[in-house]
Amino acid sequence: MENSGYLSISDILVTNEKIPCKFLHDLPKMGFLDPSASEDDLKAGTNVEIPLWLAESLHSRRPPLVAVDLPKIYKDSYREILNADACTVDMHKLSQYFYEFGCYIAKHDIKGEVSNTLINTFRQRFRMLLSASVSTDSVGAIQPLSVSERLQAAAAANTEKALSEWLQRGDSILTTANMVANHRKRKRAEMEMH
Amino acid sequence: MDPYEVEFIGENRIISVIPNFSYDKIYLICGEFGPFRAGLPINVPLWLAMMLKQKQKCRIVPPDWMELDTLENIKEEEKRSRFFTKMPNEHYMVEAKLILGAASEDVPNAAEIKTIIKDIWDIRMSKLRTSMDALMKSGGGYGRLDHLTMMEINSAKPLLPSAMDYLLQIQKKAQQRVQQPSALNTSTFSQSGSSQNT
Repeated sequence: MENSGYLSISDILVTNEKIPCKFLHDLPKMGFLDPSASEDDLKAGTNVEIPLWLAESLHSRRPPLVAVDLPKIYKDSYREILNADACTVDMHKLSQYFYEFGCYIAKHDIKGEVSNTLINTFRQRFRMLLSASVSTDSVGAIQPLSVSERLQAAAAANTEKALSEWLQRGDSILTTANMVANHRKRKRAEMEMH
Repeated sequence: MDPYEVEFIGENRIISVIPNFSYDKIYLICGEFGPFRAGLPINVPLWLAMMLKQKQKCRIVPPDWMELDTLENIKEEEKRSRFFTKMPNEHYMVEAKLILGAASEDVPNAAEIKTIIKDIWDIRMSKLRTSMDALMKSGGGYGRLDHLTMMEINSAKPLLPSAMDYLLQIQKKAQQRVQQPSALNTSTFSQSGSSQNT
């Protein structure tokens, strides 16, 4: 999960997920934030879903402009489903960046249960990664996985494919090993040749 | 690692061949082999044995474990045990695949042996999968890889370490944020921090 960099695309996508917030003050001329509002000004007490990056900066001001609520997938009702059987949940539909987003959300969760839910969910769903890596119906198996889970399942499926290829085939054409191909000296030598 | 790279490493195992030619000692990076005398068994690396076999210059002496009774026992043992049992050889799969692929006529009951080795492999692979799942579910921080061969470890490779790594990252990030001292409500945060460790 190396996505905490400022310019990391995946991190930008994660922080662009919406989070429900309650505005604590009247904000003039900010009515556009609430799609259902008819006035120009945003009234205190309005509940709006705004992207996380905006919510974080509004929340961290003194005094905070918004009170941050948990998105519904991290709330009690969903948490119970996840604790019961996380494998039944279609993460791709519900929350594509469940784990990454959850890490950001965890600090707004006063009870501190979100981080446990994240860990338990990943532990339980590991079985799905395993079966997705060997499944012949790869589309169906990969469908309910979140973005990061999909990446891991794809990597595992690659190994699995290489292994079964090795088991089936007698001989293979020799290719350059990745390690050798990526070697700096070799690259430099190639560059000098051109 | 690619399975072919593991195979390459496994090809350094020494096996016994009976050459049908005579030749002086040969000097290789991995050591000296020879002199070759026609009809006398000699130990050479697996890759050399394969090469000689393909040129029809030798007959391969199958390793001791490559016979039905031994393998039958191993298979039974593997089925019975909850853990992985010790394999006769760190690269049993590579050795079996190469020898049975290139020199099946030198091994008695080659077809049965092929099946039984594949059975053992399948049992072990499914065991590996279940134990990986159990490891993740139970929340263990490490797994013991006793008696697993290189090819088997390699098959678990990007998935298990990356999943463990991912789990650690979540743990670090989520907890660090929870425990972060905040001017607002430190008391609730410290309370939640302690529940993490249970």
